[in-house]
Parts: sequence; C-alpha cells; structure tokens
Amino acid sequence: MPRLLSRFVVAIALSLTFAVAQAGTVAVLTPYLASATTKIMVDGVEEALTNLGHDVNVIDTAGDVGALDSRIQDVVLQGVDAIVLSANPELVPAAIQTASDAGVPVFGLDAGSLVGLQADVTSNNYAMAAQTATYLVDALEGEGRVVMLVHPPYAPVQKRGAIARAIFDNTPDIEVVDEIFVEVPGPLENARNAVEAVLTANPEAGSIAGIWAAWDEPALGALQAIESLGRQDEGIAIVGLDAIDPAREAIAGGGNFKATVAQDFAGIAQTVANLVDDALSGEDVERRTVYVPASLVTQGDLR
Amino acid sequence: MIRRYGTLIGLVGIVVVFSVLRPDTFMTVGNWLNITQQVSILAVVAFASTVVMVTGAFDLSVGTMASLAGMVAAASMQAGLGIGVAIALALAVAAAGGAVNGLLVAYLRIVPFVATLGTLTMFGGLALMVSDGSTIFGRAIPQAFGAFGRGGLPLGTVDGRAVILPNLTIVALIVLVLVWVLLEQTGYGRRLYAVGGNAVAARLAGVRTRLVMLGAFVVSGLGAGIGGLMLTSRLASANPTQGDGLMLNAIAAVFLGVTMSDEGVPRVLGTLVGVLILGVLANGLTQLQIDTYVQQVLTGAIVVGAVAVGSVRRRAS
Amino acid sequence: MPPSTAAATPPPEPRLRVVRADHRYGATHALKDAHLTVAAGEVHALVGENGAGKSTLIRLLAGAETADVFSATIDGRPYTPRNPADARRAGLRFVHQELNVAPSLSVAETVHLGLPYPRTPLGTIDWRTLNTRTADTLSKLQLGHINPATVMHRLSAGDAMLVTLARALAAEPDGPAAGLYVFDEPTAALSAREADRLFDAILRLRATGAGILYVSHRMNEIFDLSDRVTVLRNGATVGVFDTSNTDRAALVQAMTGREGGLAGRTPKGRGDAEQPVVLSVRSLQTRQLNEVDLDVQAGLVTVVVGLPGSGRRALLRAFAGDATLHGGQVHVLGIPMKQSPHAAWQAGVAFVPDERRGEGLWLSGSVAANMLLPHLGRVTRAGWVRRRHEQREAEAWAARVGVRARGVRQPAWELSGGNQQKVVLARALAGQPQALLLGEPTRGVDVGAKEEIYDLVRNAAQQGTAVLVATSDLEEAFTLADRMVVMAHGRIVLDAAASDLTREAVLTAAFRDAAEEVAA
Repeated sequence: MPRLLSRFVVAIALSLTFAVAQAGTVAVLTPYLASATTKIMVDGVEEALTNLGHDVNVIDTAGDVGALDSRIQDVVLQGVDAIVLSANPELVPAAIQTASDAGVPVFGLDAGSLVGLQADVTSNNYAMAAQTATYLVDALEGEGRVVMLVHPPYAPVQKRGAIARAIFDNTPDIEVVDEIFVEVPGPLENARNAVEAVLTANPEAGSIAGIWAAWDEPALGALQAIESLGRQDEGIAIVGLDAIDPAREAIAGGGNFKATVAQDFAGIAQTVANLVDDALSGEDVERRTVYVPASLVTQGDLR
Repeated sequence: MIRRYGTLIGLVGIVVVFSVLRPDTFMTVGNWLNITQQVSILAVVAFASTVVMVTGAFDLSVGTMASLAGMVAAASMQAGLGIGVAIALALAVAAAGGAVNGLLVAYLRIVPFVATLGTLTMFGGLALMVSDGSTIFGRAIPQAFGAFGRGGLPLGTVDGRAVILPNLTIVALIVLVLVWVLLEQTGYGRRLYAVGGNAVAARLAGVRTRLVMLGAFVVSGLGAGIGGLMLTSRLASANPTQGDGLMLNAIAAVFLGVTMSDEGVPRVLGTLVGVLILGVLANGLTQLQIDTYVQQVLTGAIVVGAVAVGSVRRRAS
Repeated sequence: MPPSTAAATPPPEPRLRVVRADHRYGATHALKDAHLTVAAGEVHALVGENGAGKSTLIRLLAGAETADVFSATIDGRPYTPRNPADARRAGLRFVHQELNVAPSLSVAETVHLGLPYPRTPLGTIDWRTLNTRTADTLSKLQLGHINPATVMHRLSAGDAMLVTLARALAAEPDGPAAGLYVFDEPTAALSAREADRLFDAILRLRATGAGILYVSHRMNEIFDLSDRVTVLRNGATVGVFDTSNTDRAALVQAMTGREGGLAGRTPKGRGDAEQPVVLSVRSLQTRQLNEVDLDVQAGLVTVVVGLPGSGRRALLRAFAGDATLHGGQVHVLGIPMKQSPHAAWQAGVAFVPDERRGEGLWLSGSVAANMLLPHLGRVTRAGWVRRRHEQREAEAWAARVGVRARGVRQPAWELSGGNQQKVVLARALAGQPQALLLGEPTRGVDVGAKEEIYDLVRNAAQQGTAVLVATSDLEEAFTLADRMVVMAHGRIVLDAAASDLTREAVLTAAFRDAAEEVAA
C-alpha cells in the first residue's frame, strides 16, 4: 500500500512541477460539487483559468463545512496564489481570516456574501425576480389574481419573493391571493398539492390568473396541478426561475408555463476567472460584488 | 515491535512521504499546529466514541448529535442567551441524547447498531427542527464565541511569524487526558473493559453492566456535544448537518487504533494515532493537490489495509 | 458381576451390532470395550451416569466423530461411518434433544431440509406438493394437527421435536428406508402429553420392524417403552437386561458399580446444628425450581447434586442473584437479598459460575483485573485505581490460590484451564465472602489442579464460610460434601449428612420420577 501510494504521489508531483513553472496556482473549493449548477460553474472556472495558463486544483468536501474550513487552511499553507470559494464565506470565517493573514485573495463564485472576499461574482436575485414578476404582470395585462410560491428560509430565494411581492403590490389590479410556503425537500410534490388546494378553493375559470414561483420546481408542480384538475384552458400563466431543463421543455411546449430566467453560469465562471487572472497579474481588483446579467427565457427563445 | 506498532510505523511512513514531497510546507511547525487544530474536533468525538466501543457497542449517532448540540448552542445565542447558558444547554442536550442511547441499548436491549441508527436520524431531524433547516451565522453568534475557535495560546515566533497553539487543540488534549484517565486509571474504566471483554462474566462478577453501558453512552454523547460546540465556535456558524460526517471518521479512527492493541480492544492512545493518520492524510493529500475523489479512495484503502493487516497478524499469533 | 446378562436373548438378525467401540479424547478414555446390539422391532434403552460414554457412542454411530476402534454391522453388513451422510445412507436416523432447526423455516421446509424439493415445470419450488407430502408424513405419525405451512418457532417445544422426528422419517423418494432410529434424551423438553405422542410414534416405528435406540435418564420411560436395556459405565458395557426381568435397583447398581456404601471414605459430618445459617430460601419458585426450602450453614460444604435439569444449577443461580423469582426470596444472614449479581456480591455472596470461559473469565483482561473485578472498591480511592494496591492485592491472592502465571498483568487467555479456574476462585475468595457458591468447580481441570481447588474450598469452609457447590460429578460431590442435597424435578428430594449417604441412595433419589414425586 505505501509503495503504491508513494508512486502515485510521485507521479502527481512530477506532473505538477511542469505546470507550476508558468503561472499562479489557484484552489477552487466547494462543499456542493454534487449540485449540478455548482458543478457547471466550477468546471467553467477550471477551464477558463487553465486556458489563461494557471494551475487549478478543485477540492470538494462533500457537504462538510468543517472539512471546507480545514482544506482552505491547507491550501493557504501549501502556498496557493488565489482561492475561489463556492460557498458562503461567513460559514468559514476563521479560514478566510487565515487566507487574508497570509495575503491570499479569495474570490466568491456565487458565494452570496462579500465578507472577507476580494470579490464575489453571482447573479442578482432581485433582478431576476423582477424579470419574471414583470413578465407575469405584462402577460396578465396588469390585472388578475396571483398565487406566489416562496421559500423564505433560503436567503437567495427569500430575496426573489420579496421583490416579486413588491412588484405585484405596486400594480393596482393585481391581487396576491396567497403566498404559499413550499416545503423542501420535495418542492415539486408539495407545490402541486398546495396549488391543487388553491385551485379547488377557486373553482371559477379565471379566478386564478397567474402563478409566480420562486424557482422552477414549484412552478412545475403548479403546472401538474393545473393539468391534473383539467384546467389548462383557463389561461393560467406560470413563471419560474433558473431555467432547468424540464422547465425549458414545458415552456417550449407552449402550455401554461410561460417563462423562466437562465443564469449565465458560463459568464459567471469566466468573470471569476478574469478577476483572478487580473489579481495574479498584479492589477488592482475592485472589492465588490459583480452581478452577471441573467436572461429571460420564453417560448420564443426556445424555438 | 512491528506487530504491535505497525499502525504507528504507518503513520510515520506517511509523514516521511509528505515531508519529502512537500519539504517547504508540510514539515513546518505552522502546518503541524494547523493539523492538530483540524483534527481536534474529530479527535474529541473519537475519544468519546472509544469509551462506547470499549464495551463492544457502537454509537452511530455522534455525528448528528454534534450537529444538534452545535445548533442548540447557536439557536440559544441567537435567542439572546449568554454564551455560558448556551454551552450548558447544548451539553445537557448531548448528555440526554447519550442517555437515551444508553437506555435503548442497556435497558431495552436493542442492538446498538439499530438503536443508534434510529437516534442518528432523530438527532439529525431535531437539528433541522431547531434551525428550521437554515444556517445560523453572522451576528447571531457572539464575537467571543467565534473568537475562541480561531484563537490560541501564543508560543512565540518562528521566522517572524507568531506561532499559536490553537484553543481547539488544547480542548482536544484536555479531553484526551480525561478519557485516558477514565479508561486506564479508574475502576469505572476497568468495568468498561470487563463488559466489553465478557458481558456475562462481568455481570456475574457483580458489575452493574447496564449502568456501565448507560454511562458509556452518556460520555459518548457528551463528547459529540463538545465536538459540535467546537465546530460551531470554529466556523462561527451552525448548520444543521455540519457534524454529520464526523461519525464515520470517528469509528474509522477507533478501528485504526484497535489495530495497535494486542488484545484487539480500543485504547484511547490508539484512537489518537488513528485520528492523526486521518488528519495527516487529508492535510498532506490536499497539499499534494491530489484530486478529492482520489483522496477519498486512498483514505478508505489505507484504513481497510491497516485493519486487515491487524486482523491477519492477530489470527497468526 | 452383572447378574442378568445371560438372561438377555437377542432376537435373530440384529439391526445394529456394535461389537467393540474404543475412543479417547486426549487423556480421557471415553469409550473402552463398549458393545451394543439392537434388534429389528425392538426399543433398546441405553443408560449410564454422566460421563459413562453414551454421548460418545452416539457421536460415533452418527459419524460425527471417527472412532479409534469401531467395529459394527448394520443388518449384517459392516458399518464404518466417516461422516453423517454415511450414517444416513446406512439407514440411521437421529432425533436429538437440542432442536437444531432454523426457527424461521416452515414445518414442510424443515422436514425436507437437505432433501430435494419437488419442482414445478418452471423449475420453481412446488410448494403445494411439498406441503401435501409433508402432511402425509405427519399423518403417518398421527401428527395431523400440525400444519405443514406453519413456521417452526410458532410450534410448542414438543411439536417441534415431533417435526424433527418426522424429518428423520422423511426418506428420499428413492433412497434406502431407515432401519435404525436413535433418540437422544428426546423428552427433556416435552410435556407429559407431548411425550405420550412421541411414545406412540416410537411404538408405531417399532411395529414397522425398525430398531430403536433410546437414550434417557428417566427410569419410568425406560420401563414403559424399552424391550431391553444396555448399561454403560466408565466407557464399557457392564450389562444388558431384559426390561421385563429387571428393576430400577438393579439398573442403578449396574450404573454405579457399587452394591454397598462407599468404601474408604471418611465421614466428615460435623455439628451442623451449631453452625449459623448464612444463606436461606423458603418456598423458592422459579421456572426450574419448585417450592425449595434450604438453609446453608457457615463452616460446612453443602453439595447439591441432581440430573441435568433437576434444578441444581438453577438453585445456585438464585443464590447468586441471577434468577427470576416467581416466589420466595433469598436471605443472607437473615437480610433479604435483591436478585442481582451485584447485590449478591455486596451481601458477601461470591459466585464461581459453571462455564469458566463463557461466564467466569474476561479473557482479554489481565489476571489482576479478573480477580479484582468485584472488589474494585477496595483498590480504588474516589474511583481512581491505586495501581500499587491493585498489584499487591492481586499478587497476594494469586499466591494464595497458587496461580501459575508470568505475573498478574498477564492476560487470562494465556493461562491453562486449571490456572484460569484458580483465577476465578481467587476472585470469589478475595472478597472474604460470607458464602461461596461454586458451579462445577473442577470441570475441565487437570487432576493436580483439582486437588488444589478442593483444598482451597475446604479451607474456606474451615474458616467459617458457607460453601455451596453444585456439581454433576458424583465423585467430586462425595469428596467435598459435609452435607449433600439431591434435587430432582426442581425439588429437593434428599438432604442428609454426606457420611450417611451412599452413591446408590443419591442416584436413586436423583432418578426418582416426576410421577412418584407427585404420588409421594
């Protein structure tokens, strides 16, 4: 065993000595690599940084925040030139402090907080929610009763709900009938059950005009509820957010599901990579959150 | 020599390999203090688990108990209670959880694996209930509480840099001494080993085996609680699942330690070696930039390999 | 010496003839010159004391063990089984006292265990045929009340036993028919009604011309059921009797080999009446004990003997605090004792359990740790072990009982059986107990260590400890006892100064049947 290990280690070490010679070493850390969107972004950053000539090391701690803390310390001691963190820095303040003490800049990849970071690159949840809420108001021509599907405990989703609510409240003829808390896990089933209940309580055609969901899964649940009650033809409009594949299919099919918003993951990854590259080239990087615009997706975009 | 200390020699071997491959960063005072700090939480949980495993039982619930205790402390502080009260509440919950395990195993005679698998899920659910599924962080955690997990005793300076003995390392050392005294120097420790060696004989020799088991599970629960508090302090935040991963590593560490004992029984100093092996592997492999998934495979293989070598030589003797 | 050997006339064409069997286990000569003949259509009983060689003989017959010398024929053909399959092929079937069946299997599966199952055309098991076939087998044994689909653990102990009998009967469709059935203590776990059903089945088997070898301790069964009896003593056949021409006294005498009292034994009876009572029970009732009254006095060795299951072991357990009492209570020096081993040790009752490895020792622990386990309070201060005290205490006791070990820190598993037993004895003596309970104190111990242990036990008594020994070894009982208590069927059937007793008297009492018990 130790012989095998040492051989393995030597092989890797040799391959490294070639790469290190050229540019900086960057560690990308996340506890959430199993999540599809995190994976897309991390892969994007890795590819972009490698293309820029840097040596990239991706570390996943499989949901373990304590281990994330330890691994950040390890890479700082190992002497990396920069760290990209795809997790809220406030979960690992001590490790961020260690990095800062050692002069290693930490960049957020959709981190959701700027505490202790050089910069955070993410999508703007306020802006995205405004896009879908405005779309729904426009589709209803500013009039009708609307159901909201929300989940306030998760901060980014809470932001979406707050902004959508503000837009509906600011539209005189839009009435928010109910703001339904969607339980997680199982958002799709839970949303379907809740929406079925609301529709059953409002049996007249047109009594519910629109459904605003804070993300795509409850939106898909709402769509199933409408279909199972056979009320597809009332013109109830649904909007979601995140543009996951099943949502895109539903929108392309031209049913009740009308729109969602696609975050620009590639853009986020490229932006982080550019910031890191700038920092490693000795340029001053402004300390701020960088929002990468997201785009609304409707049936027209999917043809 | 090699028979008894094979696992220790393995640890030394791993250290030598990393020192050769990463001469500038691995074998430094700073990195070693860093490693002791990183393993401190696992160490506390593993030391306490050793007490239960001495009796031949398991406690699978230590991971979620650590999460729950950390969460109880964080939620208490968020609710405005003082740090001392929050810590006391968390430890009370941990001791009570351990007692529940003990009652299930010793008095209702449920197999430890099944009983603690059940409470594992219960404690995990309770942690989610206490927190409503969300993470408590930021201003909800008092400055002083988070500062403890980050701070330490200044030892002096090396190359102009302050060398600090982390507080968490100190806590782990204190728990190590306490558990060592409990297992090796007290009558209760003797009874624990007797129950693990032959529960029937121990009972017929007048040992109140159920009480002894109950106590062992309370100790294990308390250890998990202390580990959870350390984690919350270190991270200055509490996430309802942050301690869950500790259980498997704690059990692995105890088993690695068992390979060092001729009688095949857990000893807390053996557990210390097991914890260090896991900690050094994680630290060194990260420094070598080995892919995280490969790291997992290597760590698992090393644990299994060590235990296999241990069991082969015991059969041979 | 056996008076009626000549009277026995074996019918022609014996099913089984064991001409000579000789077998050693290490130093123990378990069987020497044992012989046995079972005729067709005969129920033949095999009796003897514990250790007479009955089980060894049966193990050899079953092919579970290869004998040193084993010359036998079945239906006139030479029979030398090398494994259980050989025995089955030769037409032997065994019904054991222990039910070694899987409790989750159905009756039909149990009966057909190891036999080919009937198949459907698809190759799956044909459960209907299997169940019908089982029902046929069961009804042949008049066991129609057992449903083939029932799961074994739902059956009563008796029905389960009868099912294993059915299993012995279920022949392979094209295999040889069974010619000889061996029953080893089959009624040990049965109620009277279940036993009757078993006897019916046995008599029906006999009517088919099969030979039946029946091993039992129960005299009334032997006289009710058997045609002839073979008596084993010390591994040799000492007599073959026609059941109708003999009586219990003759059988007991053949088993023990003694006619009169014990020659050469010095009576040790002492002034019992003056010794204070240390342990006492009144109307003690447990699952195995029935209304037992007993006082155990200081300074005497009281020995409890009886057949397995007679309650001798259960009585010791009750004094040791390891029993569930349905009635009565244990008193130590007049003070009621809670039923827990801890309470017993606290009250000064020290216990050496019968199973040294299973119940006595903690093998991975050191000699010292094993010895001082119940006495940790004496070597600790505020819970802290005082190592030097522990060492000194352990060394003193190791020396006193003569444990031969490298040191008191040596792990117990490295010691010999005799030394291990001395460690357990030292543990009991180290507390300077009021009462000393010993279960099978010298089982598996070599002769030298045996004598040393006897001396230690006698010394303890001389120093005023009340000693209560339960043993299955009659020799040992007479060696140690000042007073002898004989148990049968959960009751004390004889209680007297050892000097007033003979082996015959003890055995006759021990073999006394439940029926007589009720009548008496």
